[in-house]
Amino acid sequence: MDMQECPINLSEEDILDAMKNISGYLDITTKDFREIYLVAYRQALRRIKQSLRARDIMTRSVISVKPDTSLEEVAQILAENGISGLPVTDAEGRICGMISEKDFLLHMGVQKNASFMTVVAQCLQNKGCLALPIRRKKAENIMVSPAVTVGEDAAVFEVSGILTEKNINRVPVVSQENRLVGIITRSDIVSSSCAIGQETGI
Amino acid sequence: MMEYFRKMKGDTKSPPYVGFREIFWSWIGAFIGIGAVAFLEYNLLTGTDRLMIIGSFGASAVLIYGAVRSPLAQPRNFIGGHLISAIIGVASHQLLHSHMWLASAVGVATAIAAMHATKTLHPPGGATALIAVTGSEQIHSLGYFYVIMPVGAGALIMLLVALLVNNIPKTRRYPEFWF
Repeated sequence: MDMQECPINLSEEDILDAMKNISGYLDITTKDFREIYLVAYRQALRRIKQSLRARDIMTRSVISVKPDTSLEEVAQILAENGISGLPVTDAEGRICGMISEKDFLLHMGVQKNASFMTVVAQCLQNKGCLALPIRRKKAENIMVSPAVTVGEDAAVFEVSGILTEKNINRVPVVSQENRLVGIITRSDIVSSSCAIGQETGI
Repeated sequence: MMEYFRKMKGDTKSPPYVGFREIFWSWIGAFIGIGAVAFLEYNLLTGTDRLMIIGSFGASAVLIYGAVRSPLAQPRNFIGGHLISAIIGVASHQLLHSHMWLASAVGVATAIAAMHATKTLHPPGGATALIAVTGSEQIHSLGYFYVIMPVGAGALIMLLVALLVNNIPKTRRYPEFWF
């Protein structure tokens, strides 16, 4: 919310300086200018918020797995693609659930809010392979289901709200038939806000 | 109630001074604009019953040569405001001249309302309406011709000067918009 409040704090001196730099007599007081600026800024924010939608910023080629994919394979796919989570879909491409690093850790018997470093520490203490409990399991055994999803028309600000609220890093975008059409990660949202800045010159 | 009086204190600052160049070009514009209209009035129309200049042009000069960016100074407002106010001023005098105070008040108030309604607000228009009511016998005898001359003709000459002079300095441009 800082981003929204920040530009509103124009000081009277800022406006006076700007008015001095513009040649000619400006028939307006600083207070009126600030009032116009505030209202216009809020309206622009609303317009930008509404105009940018999930389909505009999502990644369309999504790597996904099937419910019966072995966890060994899932881990390999995550590693090879340098990603930390992916959706699980059925034969028709409908979303069944989501799997992320967090779910691996959780089912490996590591206590909640554990991290990769917990695993490293335990390995170094020579407690054996932590992955044993999940060795023969499949994607459907550890995936989070039902998955949190958003529609293609969802406004980007809603999507970012969902990511924050649910404390997740990615959210699959689904069509009206619940079929997977894309995915939005936190970094997609970051790069889209840069795009807003470039377009409007903020 | 306290809020009512608090509002009388004002709560913002006066806009900054303008630079020397701005003052210089305001003077040049006003000199040529008023000069042209006044020359016609005093050198070419003397002895005729034709008029070319009225007091409200002095007020217009402040805007179109001194505050050229102001919406109030743009051609739509300048020409439109004068013409509409002139019509209303003449009508007020003709309908209400038996009560001069009423003719004056109705003329100016209606001129402001009409300028607002037509998006042609130009402060000197109020004076143009008032002059039509309180002016000399010579002005009253013009009837609605007052709208065409001095008001329309004089304003057109001043507009022409504004276009020619205000676009000379790099730091100025006129108009911001026509209509």
